[in-house]
Formats: sequence, structure tokens, C-alpha cells
Amino acid sequence: MTDGANAATGAGVGTVAALLVFIVASVWLGTLAQRAVEKGSFLKGYFLGNRGLGAWALALTATVQSGGTFMGFPSLVYSFGWVVALWIAAYMVVPLTGFGVLGKRLAQLSRRMGAITVPDLFRSRFESPAAGLMASLLILFFMSFMMVAQFKAGAIVMQVSWPGSGALTLDEAGPTGGDYYYRLGLAIFALTVVGYTLIGGFLAAVWTDLFQSVMMLIGVMILLPLALLAAGGLPAASRNLAREMAVQPPAAGDDKRQENSLPVEGRMRALDAALRHYAARNGGRLPDGLDELDQPVAELADGVAYLSGGVAIDPPGSMRRTLVAITLKDADGWQTALYSNGVVRSGKLGRPGELLTGPGPAGFHPLGMAFSFFFVWVFAGMGSPAGMVRVMACKDTRTIRRSIFLLACYNMLIYIPLVVICICGRTLLPDLQKSDEIIPRLALMSTGDLWGGSFIGGLILAAPFGAVMATVSSYLVVIASGLVRDVYQRFINPAASETTIRWLSYFFMVLVGAIAVAACLRPPDYLQSVVVFSGTCGAATFVVPALMAVYWRRATAAGAMAAMGAGVLTVLGLYSINWLQGEFKTYPLLGIDPIVWGLAASLIVGIAASLASQPPSRQLVSKLFDAPSPGR
Amino acid sequence: MSSPAPDPVLKSARREAIVVLLIWASALVYTIGFCYQFGYHRPVEQIDFILGFPDWVFWGILAPWTVCTLLSGWFAFGFMSDEDLGADGQAEDAAEETGEVRR
Repeated sequence: MTDGANAATGAGVGTVAALLVFIVASVWLGTLAQRAVEKGSFLKGYFLGNRGLGAWALALTATVQSGGTFMGFPSLVYSFGWVVALWIAAYMVVPLTGFGVLGKRLAQLSRRMGAITVPDLFRSRFESPAAGLMASLLILFFMSFMMVAQFKAGAIVMQVSWPGSGALTLDEAGPTGGDYYYRLGLAIFALTVVGYTLIGGFLAAVWTDLFQSVMMLIGVMILLPLALLAAGGLPAASRNLAREMAVQPPAAGDDKRQENSLPVEGRMRALDAALRHYAARNGGRLPDGLDELDQPVAELADGVAYLSGGVAIDPPGSMRRTLVAITLKDADGWQTALYSNGVVRSGKLGRPGELLTGPGPAGFHPLGMAFSFFFVWVFAGMGSPAGMVRVMACKDTRTIRRSIFLLACYNMLIYIPLVVICICGRTLLPDLQKSDEIIPRLALMSTGDLWGGSFIGGLILAAPFGAVMATVSSYLVVIASGLVRDVYQRFINPAASETTIRWLSYFFMVLVGAIAVAACLRPPDYLQSVVVFSGTCGAATFVVPALMAVYWRRATAAGAMAAMGAGVLTVLGLYSINWLQGEFKTYPLLGIDPIVWGLAASLIVGIAASLASQPPSRQLVSKLFDAPSPGR
Repeated sequence: MSSPAPDPVLKSARREAIVVLLIWASALVYTIGFCYQFGYHRPVEQIDFILGFPDWVFWGILAPWTVCTLLSGWFAFGFMSDEDLGADGQAEDAAEETGEVRR
């Protein structure tokens, strides 16, 4: 089919061009940032941008939307339908919670104490090097997970878009370490990201992040009308889903199970042929019952429920289709379905209408999780060290205010259209084996005929790449700053010269990049689970201590450290219940996600430990909580 | 000795934080409550479509999202106050200061 060949070519040239644009732009932004860094002291410039962040940079980069969310979210909408709008709904308040709860005080206190990093802030606020060190180590711990996962994602995107590799999806389960294109992609990705981050530091990370956010918005705004047009409007697409019976997304080991269905699928195809034969001689209509077919169909009809008596048959591969016949459930709960357009599918089938209601197919989003995710997005954003550092780096409170509104508009323009696009996609391409492919395929399908279409399609395909790059560069900055400022300068060599600091920073960035690359040669699975895990840990660890540091006079170092410890141990404990059984998956105790339990534990322990320990020095508290005396 | 006045930034930030958390809690209760009541386990024939969105999505997610965006505008331009964040504090280590002096 020529479509497929064109699509593959389109993926090659257009995407590579778009990726080159990203790479060149990022490196250029990196050099611009380097010039800005030279203005102040090295540390403040390199790791905090000299506190010059404006509203656009703050708004569109603080809630670091990683490659995981952007890759995973569309595929979830495709697989599970409208309920995923509820899954993402908490983003409606994220601009407010992300900036309006901690923002002002973090910005003020970090200035008053000359803090450059989050551990810096804890150390000064609680007059406790131990608190700062604990924060550093925990940050290093979670972010390392994230880094490795993101490097892998970046490598996969490069592998996918290399002409000739043939793959189209960001399927994280796909390549093994031995694949040539994967390694090539990993090398290019690592060199690019480490390169521009090294050149420009914090500002480079922020500006490339901003650039990517804008590109993503453009991509979505282009794809939205195209997808709606192709699907015939949202009402039609939604109504179509009412009849759709969702096939549960394939799990590990399903390939083998799929083979067991081949004989059944063969029978269904034979049935399809027989039905078409009948329809051809009866004005395109299907028989009222299988007994009307004049070929011997006794075997074919065994164990098959026939559903579409009198309905018209659809041309093979047509977009419109109705369920024609379905087998009974076998021992594994699998069924095989035949559609009026000749498509045969096997798997665990849901009931009609599950794509339009909650909890969605396979009980995707039960009430407990819906409740939990209103915590996950909100507090993972609030407690993310990369996010907090950006607030500390802003120019003034006017910037914070404008960022809130900018981000609120941006979120509405990104998430709701993405849901609409993927719902249309579900109608246009109902039988994708890999749901991750929905955005790439839609992009190529709808831009193929446009002038410059393959480049536009390429831009959309490259957006996840940008998201991954942005996350990696942000984390490189946080990790390197942690190692240089919070570990080396604090504990090993406080009198280090600026030259030493500078070269150490470069060294650590390269080192972290190299370690991530090495870890990715045998890449981990489950990118998305790692992302959620990292965000959950970050929230449970840092939100309560940050709130205590900023708003509570009586908070002590012991309280902060206890809060951090309780939060992270609770989350790790709950996750380990599944780890011990070999799965990297969240463990929803009583149906509620670990983030809620972690936050609760952190809060209770933090308050108790603060009250039980010596009150902090009155002088320090006064300096940070009382109005400045005149003449200071 | 009378207790000194609290920092004005602290006061306004605390007030704003409480308002934000109230908005968050309201959004949570409304969105989840509405969606669970009208969107979960509902027979599909009963669902109406508004501009192509299932009715429970339109009123249960789209509507509050719009309200929150407007509230963000109100918060940003009508409620949150501007404060002087203060001058950048001196970093404690001598190396920093030496670096700046050298410039």
C-alpha cells in the first residue's frame, strides 16, 4: 500500500529535519545562555540564571512536563477513552498550586539567605547541614531514576526517526541494547543534551524547555483541526465510540497468547469471506442468521455469537464498522471479534460504551485513583526540586502572577485539545496494535497532503523528543548543582575558587550523562511508571518540609528531616510490595495512590518531630518571619 | 517586649496559599463528585453529547476547568499582591565574593 511507504518516508525525512531544528536551536540557545551566565558570579549564573526568569520562562517550564507524560497521555486516551480526561483534570488547578502556594515565600527566602538550590534553602532555613545533605542525597536518588528513563526515551526517539530504521512508535518495550540505531540515537541524544546544558547551564535548560513547550502548543493547534476534519467532527467520533468494544491493551506475554488465537482468527476470516459472498448477491446486506449462508458453516458458527443480522457490510478497511460476530470467552477471558469492515481482533474485550464512561475499559480509573490523581499532579508539581528552583529564579512577584495565568491558558490549550485529538484518532485508526503510535500516525496521516506536510508532521513527532530533552537538561542542572554546591562546596572544599567550581560543574554534568548512557545500554522498561514514581517520591519528600520551612516558625531541622524520611519511606514501602513480586508498579493501598499516604505520613511525622525537638533559634526565625526592622 | 510584626510577604503569601488550597479542594470535590455521579457506570444510551463531549465530561471537567482558568486570572491580576522580595542575599563563602570582586 503506497500510504504505508509514504508514511515511512515521511517519518524519515520530515522528522530528522524537525529534530535537527530542535538540536540546532537548543545549542544556539545554550550559547546565548552562556553569555547571560557570564554577567554574575558563576554559581548564581550557571545554576540560577541570576534570578532573571521572566513570566513566559517560568510559566511554561516550571511544571516540567516530561517525555513520559507526553508520550503516555495520548496513548491512554486512545486506549481508555473519555475517562482519561478525568485522569488529567487536576491540571486545571496546577498553575495556581504550582506557583501560588510556595512561590512568593520561596523566592523571598532564597534571596534573603542567598540560596541557590533547594538543599541550600533547607540548610540555611534550619541551620542544619544535615538537613541540606539529606535533601541533596534524596534529590540525587530520585532524579537518577528519572534521568536514566529519559535518556532511554530520547534514544528511542532518535532511533525511530532515523530514516531506514522503519519503526514508527515510541514503544518503550521495543529495542534491546544491541540495536545499532538505538545506540546511535543514544549517543546523539546524550551529546546534544549534555552539550548545550554544559554550555549554558540553568538558563539553557529553561530556554530550551520554553522552546519545546511552544513547539508542542503549535503542534497541537495544527493537529486539532486536521484530526477533527478527518473524523467528521467530535460528535460523530464520540458517537462512534459508543459502539466500540475496547480491546484491553496488550500486556507482557500477550504475544504468545496472541498466537493461540490465530486458528480462531482464521475461522473468523473465513466467516468474513462467506458473509461477503452472501452480501454480494443480496444487495450488500448481511444475512439475518448464519444458517442462511449456503456454504457449510457449521464449524465456523460453533461458539460464535452473530450480532448484525440485516446490517450492511462495509468495504474492507473502511473507517466505519460494526461488530458482526464474536466468539465466546475462552479460559483466559479472551475473545475474537469480527467487524463489518473485515477486521479481526483478539483480546480481552470490554463492553460497549466503556470508552464513554468511567471507570473505563478494564476498570482503568476507579474512584480511589481519580481522587488520588488530584493529588499526584498537584503535589508532584509543587514538590519537584526542578520546579522550586525555577520559582527561586524568577525576577519578581509580578512575574509569578503572570505565570499563573499564562500557564492556566496554556494547559487548557494543550490538554483538552489532546484529548479531543486522540478521541478522533480512536475513530480514524481503531485498530492500532501499539497505542503509543496514535499521535505519530495521526500526524503523518493528516499532514501528508499539506505543503511542507512531512516537516509539520515531523515537528509533531519531534515534540516528545523536545519534552525529553527539556527534562534531562533540567535534571542535569539540579543534579550537578547538588553535587557541586551542596556536597562539594559545603563539605569538601568550602574555599574552592570559581575556576574549580566551574570545571567541577562541567565534570559532573559529563559524568552524570555518561552514567545515564551506560545505564541505558541495558535499558529499563516502564518509562511511565518511573516518571510517576519519581514525581510521587519528590512530592512525598519535599512538599511538607517546604511548606514547613516557609510558613511555620516552629518547624525545626529534626522535623524537616523526619518529614522527608517518613514521606520517602512510605512511598518506597508501598511500591516495594509490588517490587517484591517482580512488578514495577504502584501499590494503591485501599485504592488510594501512595502519594496520598506519603504526604499524610510526612505531615504527621513532620509536625510531631518539630514539636518534640528544640525550637529553632529566635534570631533566625525573626530574620525570616518578621517584618524587617527599619534601617536593615 | 511586644512581638514584632510578621513579614508582610509572609502574611500575603499565607493568605494566598490558603485561597489556592481552598480552590484546589473545591475543584477536587466538584470534579470527582460530578464525574462519579454522572459519568461512572452509566448506561451509554443515556449519555447526551454537548459539542461532541459526553455530558458528564462537559459539565464535570470542561466547565470547572474553564472556571479555574478564569479564577487563575482573577487570582493573578486581582487578588495576589506584589511584594518586594528583597535584595539578593550575600552567599556565605568567600570564594563567591572574591569572584565578584575580581570582575
